[in-house]
Amino acid sequence: MSILDLLAELIATASGDCTYAEARHEQSVAEHITVRNGEVERADHDESEGIGVRVRVGGAWGFAATREVSRTGAQEALARALALARAQPAAGLAPLADVPAVSGHWASPCEIDPFTMPFEDKLALLHAAEAALGTDPRLASREATFSAARTRKAFASSAGTAITQELIECGAGLSATAVGNGEIQTRSFPLSHGGEVASRGWEHVMTIDLVGQAPRVAEEAIALLTAPVCPAGRQTIVLHGEQMALQIHESIGHALELDRMLLGEASYAGASWVTPADLTGDLRYGSDLLTVTADATLPGGLGSFGWDDEGVPARRYDLIQNGILRAALSNRESAAAVGLQESGGCARADGFARQPIVRMTNVSIASGAAGTLADLIADTEEGLYLETNRSWSIDDRRLHFQFGTEVGYEIRGGELGRMVRNPSYAGVTPQFWGSLDAVCSASDWHLWGLANCGKGEPGQLMRVSHGAAPARFRDVQVGVA
Amino acid sequence: MTAGEAPLELAERALAHLDGDGQVTVTHERSLMSRFARSAPTQATEIDDTSIEVTVVRDGHVGSATTNRMSDEDLRATARHAMAAARALAASGPGGFPGLPAPADQSAADSPAHDGWDAATAALDPVPAGEALAGAFGATAEAGVEAFGVWTAGAVHTAIVSTSGLRIADAVTDGFMKVMARRDDARTGLALDAAVSSTRLDGAQIAGRAIALVGDGEPATLPPGEYPVVLAPEAVGLLLEFLGELAFNGQLHAEGRGALAGRLDTQVAASAITLTDAPLSAMTLPRAFDAEGVPKRTVPLIDAGIARNVCHDTRSAAQAGGGMRSTGHARTPGGADGPAPANLVLAGGDAISEAELCAPIERGIYVTRLWYVNVVHPGQTLLTGMTRDGTFLIEDGRISRPLADVRFTDSVLRILEQTQALTAAPRLVTEAEFYGRRFASGVVTPALRADGFRVSGGAD
Repeated sequence: MSILDLLAELIATASGDCTYAEARHEQSVAEHITVRNGEVERADHDESEGIGVRVRVGGAWGFAATREVSRTGAQEALARALALARAQPAAGLAPLADVPAVSGHWASPCEIDPFTMPFEDKLALLHAAEAALGTDPRLASREATFSAARTRKAFASSAGTAITQELIECGAGLSATAVGNGEIQTRSFPLSHGGEVASRGWEHVMTIDLVGQAPRVAEEAIALLTAPVCPAGRQTIVLHGEQMALQIHESIGHALELDRMLLGEASYAGASWVTPADLTGDLRYGSDLLTVTADATLPGGLGSFGWDDEGVPARRYDLIQNGILRAALSNRESAAAVGLQESGGCARADGFARQPIVRMTNVSIASGAAGTLADLIADTEEGLYLETNRSWSIDDRRLHFQFGTEVGYEIRGGELGRMVRNPSYAGVTPQFWGSLDAVCSASDWHLWGLANCGKGEPGQLMRVSHGAAPARFRDVQVGVA
Repeated sequence: MTAGEAPLELAERALAHLDGDGQVTVTHERSLMSRFARSAPTQATEIDDTSIEVTVVRDGHVGSATTNRMSDEDLRATARHAMAAARALAASGPGGFPGLPAPADQSAADSPAHDGWDAATAALDPVPAGEALAGAFGATAEAGVEAFGVWTAGAVHTAIVSTSGLRIADAVTDGFMKVMARRDDARTGLALDAAVSSTRLDGAQIAGRAIALVGDGEPATLPPGEYPVVLAPEAVGLLLEFLGELAFNGQLHAEGRGALAGRLDTQVAASAITLTDAPLSAMTLPRAFDAEGVPKRTVPLIDAGIARNVCHDTRSAAQAGGGMRSTGHARTPGGADGPAPANLVLAGGDAISEAELCAPIERGIYVTRLWYVNVVHPGQTLLTGMTRDGTFLIEDGRISRPLADVRFTDSVLRILEQTQALTAAPRLVTEAEFYGRRFASGVVTPALRADGFRVSGGAD
């Protein structure tokens, strides 16, 4: 019996005990390698497999997970999920948005399976990248990382869905931390917080020029030790695409999660400054240049799939059109709660032992007409250019934020000037996006993968991508930390 | 584990597949979690899962592989992955890991006994969870507000065996409930309880404390500036968690990247501050040994304001030199993540209540909880974040009215330098964030009053 048949059989047995049931089998393998200061500090190979069963009894949900992949194990998990749902205080039975009964298989693009690449090849790449950072004694930490993951899923639900998927992820990055002059300064490439990961194979790693960029990364980390502190004040800023990705993530993506708008996450992840009523109005989120899509069909995106973890087919739709709010990120329950006929297809779970919750897919800003980053700098008389996220913080309504970046450069007369250290900026979401006055063109638009988005209780880490191009904002408070 | 097999037996079975030096760690988690929002249940999760982590050491290099599959074939394959990685690493020459701790350092007899297990909690009965939620819903309904939050209980068995002869096991439980009370105008208050036992979690009582923090009246606002502050234990606990990573991580310290680099045995905080990592303290969530099987022991970190020690695992102790040994703070076998304290205890002061802490303040801030805190400058322990769920203005020595939430950007060590007084009775606080395998931890801390708390912006 295939695992999908096992799940379908299980769901059939649940029909008399609950109003809805779904079962998801996941088999995952992940590899992480870190070379630091000339040595391999981490070489991990992780595998896991199990089944998660979610049921709805009346209006209460129950979810139970087991590592016992067998008919008996699945039945026991179903029984525990039912008992858990029945033990909840009574809740009204709210509807779920319709979902088509689907079947089929989907796989993410992958030319070279990273798990078929020799371990020695990965080590050689990381050693070369780390060595290229140099041996300046001010570099207290020199690090190069590689990661890969493969997840095979099977899913069956009482809505009649029976599907399988295979998702591959792969990425790499490097960083250098310099110590001196009373300072600790880090530079990273291509992005901070673990490198650049995409839903592609080893071929993606080959596009990341770790060795070529390493000397620049090391030089900039050392230069930051003695660079002047970013001055405080209000001025024009230009954000690099990577920082734009995090700005979109924190102040648009999370703010437009419908479960947050409905207060379902209020005690932990928080709520949103956007209300469900705003979805049918004409809420201005930003300037006319702000168009944002949610697209789970984007090749290579960490938020791409064939179906979400409720069996809803992947979709692409506008969240914001020319500055006006149009839609939110939703699952079946939250969509129905605001009267939508169909889910936004954003129910995602972090492994078999977590239940699906509303998550971002690939939330991206549309490219503009400002040309390249060099064109945008040339078009800016005076301002501050900010690159590579260092810190991030935003309130529980996703309204007031403060970001720090690894490096900043003054812009004077259309050219980059002095490097500044500890740069930061702060703003209020709709005012900040309202000050957007230029977005670079498609040539500079890039899909940035973020692999550490935390949400949910018990905690779930989700991988999402954001398409972004460098952009310019006017009259922003900088030098706030 | 197969039916009737104990974690230690499973670990032994996995170790039998190793060739060379190594360690096997088995972690078996069973947990329950019930979430609620708008005074209704929203998600309920039960987890039963086991991780088997195989660590292989070869010529100073560490290879690791993890599985949750328990057949001999799967365990053999996992061991092969770890051995192959270690072998490939060793091909580049000797590595810097000094080797797993010797049995003499970590015998089972040395593993301290603790009170971290509660059989009733380990039963993981979902009915008390439902009752606790119902209690919170009833109390908030009576007060005309809504309840949001979570109830959770967990039981975790850990066993470590190694080729050097180590054979130890530990079992811990934990219970946690958090209630956020929310009024229609979005004003909120939050209270929580955490303990080894979930049987003490009283939903109505916790909700009552949360309701009291919602406050009455229109919130005042404060411009950016520096204000006297009273930080509730929840707020202090989060600051100390960050300090644990930034200042007491022996690896960062040895590399000059730690906040106390060059500052040990100097005054770094007010004399009222005595901070210890005390894994066997009666109020904490105790555990017997660290991820390398080294017995937990108490480590004085700041004594009357003077920085005394940082924490070490085997790798960072070797980096530190001078005969330093692991203090039992490894987070992973082999030390890739660096060591960190997991049972911080801040000693209490003389104040009998938070009201007494407020008494000398002419105009200041009371903070219940901090939110979305992140590091701005690690060497300065400079953090930024928001206040949340119960921020008040203190005027003329008492809490006078609600205050709109504010953004702070300040240094933890600077706040501790400015600390004037602490309440006498510390309590266990935690955010109970369980990413990956459940590892319950928290900070035992009183409330404190500090002279200057730097507000860098507001939320409304």
